[in-house]
Amino acid sequence: MPGESFDRAEFIAYFRDEAEELLGRIESSSLELEKQTAAGTFDAEIVNALFRALHTLKGNAAMLGFSDIAEVAHRLESLCDRMRSQRTVQPQDVELLFAGRDLLGRLLAAPARAQAPSDMGDLLERLEAYAKPAQDDTEAFEAEVARMLAEQSAAKAPVQPLPLQTGRRRTIRVDIERLDALLNLVGELVVNRTRISEIAATLAQADRDGTIAKALSESAGLLSRTAGEIQESLMRIRMVPIGQVFERFPRLVRDVAKARRKEVALEIAGAQTELDKTIVDEIGEPLMHLLRNCVDHGIESPEDRQAANKPRVGKIELNAYHEGNQIIIEIGDDGSGIDLEQVRWRAIEQGLVSAQEHLTEQELVELIFAPGFTTADEVSDVSGRGMGMDVVKKSVSHLKGHLEVHTERGRGTRFTIKLPLTLAIINALLVRIGDERYALPLDSVVESQSVGVDAIRTLYGNEILMLRGEIVPLVRIAEFFGLNIQRNPEKAMVVIVSVQGRQVGLVVDAFEGEQEIVIKPLSDVVGRIAGISGATILGSGAIALILDVHALVSDAYASGKVARAEYSAVSGT
Amino acid sequence: MADIVQIASFRIGAEEYGVDISQIQEIIRMMEVTRVPRTPDYVDGVINLRGQLIPIVDLRTRFGMERAAPTKDTRIIVTDVGSKRIGIVVDSATEVLSIPIEAIEQAPEIIASAATDYIQGVGKIGDRLVILLDLTMVISGAQAGDLERSLSA
Repeated sequence: MPGESFDRAEFIAYFRDEAEELLGRIESSSLELEKQTAAGTFDAEIVNALFRALHTLKGNAAMLGFSDIAEVAHRLESLCDRMRSQRTVQPQDVELLFAGRDLLGRLLAAPARAQAPSDMGDLLERLEAYAKPAQDDTEAFEAEVARMLAEQSAAKAPVQPLPLQTGRRRTIRVDIERLDALLNLVGELVVNRTRISEIAATLAQADRDGTIAKALSESAGLLSRTAGEIQESLMRIRMVPIGQVFERFPRLVRDVAKARRKEVALEIAGAQTELDKTIVDEIGEPLMHLLRNCVDHGIESPEDRQAANKPRVGKIELNAYHEGNQIIIEIGDDGSGIDLEQVRWRAIEQGLVSAQEHLTEQELVELIFAPGFTTADEVSDVSGRGMGMDVVKKSVSHLKGHLEVHTERGRGTRFTIKLPLTLAIINALLVRIGDERYALPLDSVVESQSVGVDAIRTLYGNEILMLRGEIVPLVRIAEFFGLNIQRNPEKAMVVIVSVQGRQVGLVVDAFEGEQEIVIKPLSDVVGRIAGISGATILGSGAIALILDVHALVSDAYASGKVARAEYSAVSGT
Repeated sequence: MADIVQIASFRIGAEEYGVDISQIQEIIRMMEVTRVPRTPDYVDGVINLRGQLIPIVDLRTRFGMERAAPTKDTRIIVTDVGSKRIGIVVDSATEVLSIPIEAIEQAPEIIASAATDYIQGVGKIGDRLVILLDLTMVISGAQAGDLERSLSA
């Protein structure tokens, strides 16, 4: 009997997952219906989809005894009935749908709570009164809705956005720590594989015809390949579509636009673009803030837009795509652009720059990221306070990303966020220095080449390399780290790295190819070491330290090496 | 008798040392240690223990003794000191001893070792003397400031 073994807690978890998905559908249908209201059309299929979602939710909730949820869903069903019979959707209908959906969301957050939220009875009454079919009492409706809206904005209960899903996916939720634990176990597999290979080698000496040893080593090879594949799959599991974050934005933009009396269409592309779960979790806030900014400061009022010969409805594009080893997220609007003259005055008022200072356009744009900067004339509920653009920039940098802004007066503003696909995995060039292996992040590597020692010149005691007419200072990693390793008397293996346009040649002992590596922090283990940013465990189980290219380059330049070298180049030495 | 301390004992040079067994995570064979530059000389480097990076401290160097080449008896004792997991290299791990508390004496004034600061006491079993180490001091004692810095910077 299936019913007897069913585990209620597990069942509730399933219910909740499905309910969140249904709420997502309810919300997207509601947004669709709102568009139809604006366009004055009616598509019964959308109402039907909405009805089906509500009906399923009602059934599931009733089965588990969550009568509040079932009740609200039931009333919303009646509302659908009314829309179907009247073949029209009023703005009031949509408002009620959203209010109902939010209430469901809150109920769902704690389905078994003893007390219903205080506003539940209210909403139910209104739904009942309103959903009664066909009375041509428009005035009463409007009064009712006006009252509702006023209450809604007065209540200001923070609505927790649910991770909504469109369409059904076959997914499970897994705590990321469990994945990490699994990853460590795979590491153990790999280490043991090395052990087995050693045993196989020993055995080969004792075993006369070598067949057993051969079989063992083949088996060890298979083991290692499988372990590698598991490792890779685990990494893939950490990747999730960014759509998880995007899904809550249509509603956000709608609400902000409504509050600011603007008309905005949000266009989303690239929701399927995947990136590391950790980044997905943290990118939501900054994106949300940028979107609010676009609606609040970017898009003009419908009247202003018409006066400027633009369509009434402002457009915001949200787009994500991969580019090389990065993910690019763009948020662009076709609004008024940033008023740089105003930015300048605000900055002077706020003491960020002096009135005499001459700033380039780019420098002016960058001012919006200065801490405490705001252009809003009055503090609005939406974006004029709280998280500033400086915090957005900081969050993006925290994720090892870059934030750029391009703005054109009257045409709009575009924010571009560039993020690494994952914080944990990078492509690296492996090199050997002495007996140890080191890894260099590939995105900072320009090229690597073997150079005869006679090509290395000395300027003021510093070694340099002339590369296509440019002076590239050399850093011998072994000496930088104070390792006691003999120099190769004939040639130098040089990896040219570039950080923010500054090039340095790192001298190593050998190149060992490229590899995707998983970064592990070393700072928890042996503290921060200048020139080393972390460590990684290679497929063989060996450890490679990851060179901090940024620090090595800054160090080379800070030590005055380059300034002197450049000076001598200019003065023709 | 509740007043018994369980000690894992090990050898460094001619002396026998012991560490409270509750601090020990596991004892493993000597394995490949990756050197980490710019760390104090008694930090051997890091090892990969089932995907976890663990720093290795060479107790001989720590105690001012000559570094010894690893033998088949060399062991790494993986310990939890505070919130940190650290491996210490010893010449050999010997056995687990149960020592009654009353058999543990304060460290004598004169001990022929540079390690006096790290000594919690000396356990006597018959005519065997086991020097009980205070790992916290080994890792973070006043004189181990450089290690502490490098461990917690």
